[in-house]
Amino acid sequence: MGALLLRRLATAIPTLLGVVILSFVLMRLAPGGPFDGERALDEDTRAALDAAYGLDLPLGEQIALYLGRLIRGDFGPSLVYRDFTVSELIAQGLPVSLTIGGLALLLACALGIGGGLWAAVRAGRWQDEAIMGLATLLTALPVFVTGPLFVLIFALDLGWLPVSGWEPGSPSHLVLPVVALSLPFAGAIAKLTRAGLARALNEDHVRTARARGLAERQVIARHALRPALVPVASYLGPAAAGLLTGAVIIETVFALPGLGRYFVQGALNRDYPLVLGVVTLYAGLIILFNLVADLIYGWLDPRMRAE
Amino acid sequence: MTASRISLGVVGVVAFAALFVPPFLPWTHSAIDWDAVRAPLFSPGHLFGTDSVGRDLLARTLVGTRITLAVALAAALVALVIGTAWGAIAGWVGGRTDEIMMRIVDGLYALPFMFVVILLMVVFGRNIVLVFIGIGAVEWLTMARVVRGQVIALKQRPFVTAAEAAGAPPSRILTGHILPNVAGVALAYLLLTVPQVVMVESFLSFLGLGVQEPLTSLGILVKEGADDMDIQPHALLIPGGVLVLVIVCLTIAGERLRDRLSQ
Repeated sequence: MGALLLRRLATAIPTLLGVVILSFVLMRLAPGGPFDGERALDEDTRAALDAAYGLDLPLGEQIALYLGRLIRGDFGPSLVYRDFTVSELIAQGLPVSLTIGGLALLLACALGIGGGLWAAVRAGRWQDEAIMGLATLLTALPVFVTGPLFVLIFALDLGWLPVSGWEPGSPSHLVLPVVALSLPFAGAIAKLTRAGLARALNEDHVRTARARGLAERQVIARHALRPALVPVASYLGPAAAGLLTGAVIIETVFALPGLGRYFVQGALNRDYPLVLGVVTLYAGLIILFNLVADLIYGWLDPRMRAE
Repeated sequence: MTASRISLGVVGVVAFAALFVPPFLPWTHSAIDWDAVRAPLFSPGHLFGTDSVGRDLLARTLVGTRITLAVALAAALVALVIGTAWGAIAGWVGGRTDEIMMRIVDGLYALPFMFVVILLMVVFGRNIVLVFIGIGAVEWLTMARVVRGQVIALKQRPFVTAAEAAGAPPSRILTGHILPNVAGVALAYLLLTVPQVVMVESFLSFLGLGVQEPLTSLGILVKEGADDMDIQPHALLIPGGVLVLVIVCLTIAGERLRDRLSQ
C-alpha cells in the first residue's frame, strides 16, 4: 500500500508541475494582457507596470520565480483585484466552494449508493427499470439547466427557499445549489453501484456466504457491498473534477462567492496569477482526491493491497 | 435494441428539423420583431414566442440546436481521430512505449479538464473552430483507453498471426486487419462522446466563453432563458428541454450499442 502511494505521488508531482508550466506558457502566449484597457498606456507606465509584476523577464525566469513562490504557498498578487493577493482571494472563495462541493458529493453518494442498492435488490423488476431510467436521466441533466429550473420552481413559484446568495450559518441558502450540483453524480453513482453489485453477487466468496445459509440481506450488507463499491471509489476522482467544474456554474447561477466565480472573472479579465492559482489549486485537489480514492480502494477490496 | 432505435430516431428528427426547417420560418434567428417583444407561446408567427428583445424563439432554438450538434459532432470526430491513433499505436507497439503513452493519458485524466478548455478559450480568443478543437483535444482520453484495450485483445487473435505469417507488413496489419475490427466499439464511444461534448459546449457558452453572438447555441439560449425566466419560463424550458432530450437519447443509444458489442 505504501509503495502504491509513493508511486502515485511520484506521478502526481510531475503532473502538477506540468499543469503549472503549461498553463503559465499558455497564458503568456495570449495576445493582449491585463493592462490593455480602453486607453493605451504610455510607454513608461507600461514598462514600470511590467517591471513591477516581473512581466519583463524572460519566460523561463518568470516560471522559475513563480514556482519558487508557489512552494512557499504564495500565489502572487492579483492583477485585477489590486489590493488582494491571490492567496487571500483563494482563502475567501475556497471554503464556500468546498462546502458546496463536499455536501454535494456526500448527497450524491447517499442517493446514488442507496438507489443503486435498491435497484440491484429488485433486479429485473419495475423498480429496477425505473431507478436505472431515472439515473440515466439524471446524468444527462446539466447543472446549468437544473440550477435555474430549481430557482424557478422552489424559489420563485413556491417561495420555499431563497433565490440565491450566501449567508454564513444559513442552511436554506445551501439546499438548492447542493441538490442541483449533486444530481448528475447521484445518477452516475447509482449506475456504478447497480453494476458493481450485480458483478459482486456472482463472486465466489458470495456463493460461499449463501451456501452457509445467510439471509440475502446479510449476504449483500456483509459480503457483496464492499467489493461492489470498488467502481464507485474509482469514480471519485473524476467526480471530484466534475464537482469542481459544476461548482463554477452553480456559483454563477446562485451568486455564491466561491472560487469558481473568481476563476471565470479572472479568465475574462486576463488576471494571470489568479487563473494560474485556481488551476494549480484545483489540479492539486483532484490529484489529492485520486490518492484518497486509491486508499479507499485498498480498504474496500483487500486483494488490491497486494498489487 | 428498440430503446436505442427510438433514441436515435428522436435525435434524427431533432437534427433534421434543426438543419432544414429554419429557411422556411418567417423570421431568422437574429431578426428582431419590434411589434412582438416577449411574445407568449403560440403567438401568430411565433410558435414558441419571442425572447426579451423580440427574436423568434423557434428559429433561435432550431439554429442553436444546429450549432450545438455541429460543434459536438466535429469535436467528437477530433476526439475519435486522436484517441484512435493514440490508443492503436500504444496497444500495437506495446512495451515501454505503451506504458509511457498510457501514463500520459492517466496524467491527463487527473487534470481539471474544463479549466484547461476555459484557459484555451481565453488565450486564443472565443472562436468557434477553437471551441471544438479544444473540446476534442481533451475528450479523446477514454477513446484512447478503449481502443488500446481492443487492439491488445485483437493482436493475439489467430487472423493476425495468420496475416503476420503471410508476411504482411505491420502497418498493413494495423490498418487492414485490426482497425476495422475496432470500428464498432469506436462508433459506440463516438456516440457517447457526442453528448459529453454537447454538455461541455453548452457549459462554455452558458458562461459566455463558447459560441458567440450573433451565432447562437443551446447553452446561450439556456443562459438567456435563465436571465428571463421569472417573466417567461418557456424561454428557459424549451432550449433546456431540447438539450436534455438530445443528451439523454444519445447516451441511451451509445450505452446500448456499447453493451451489445462488449457481450
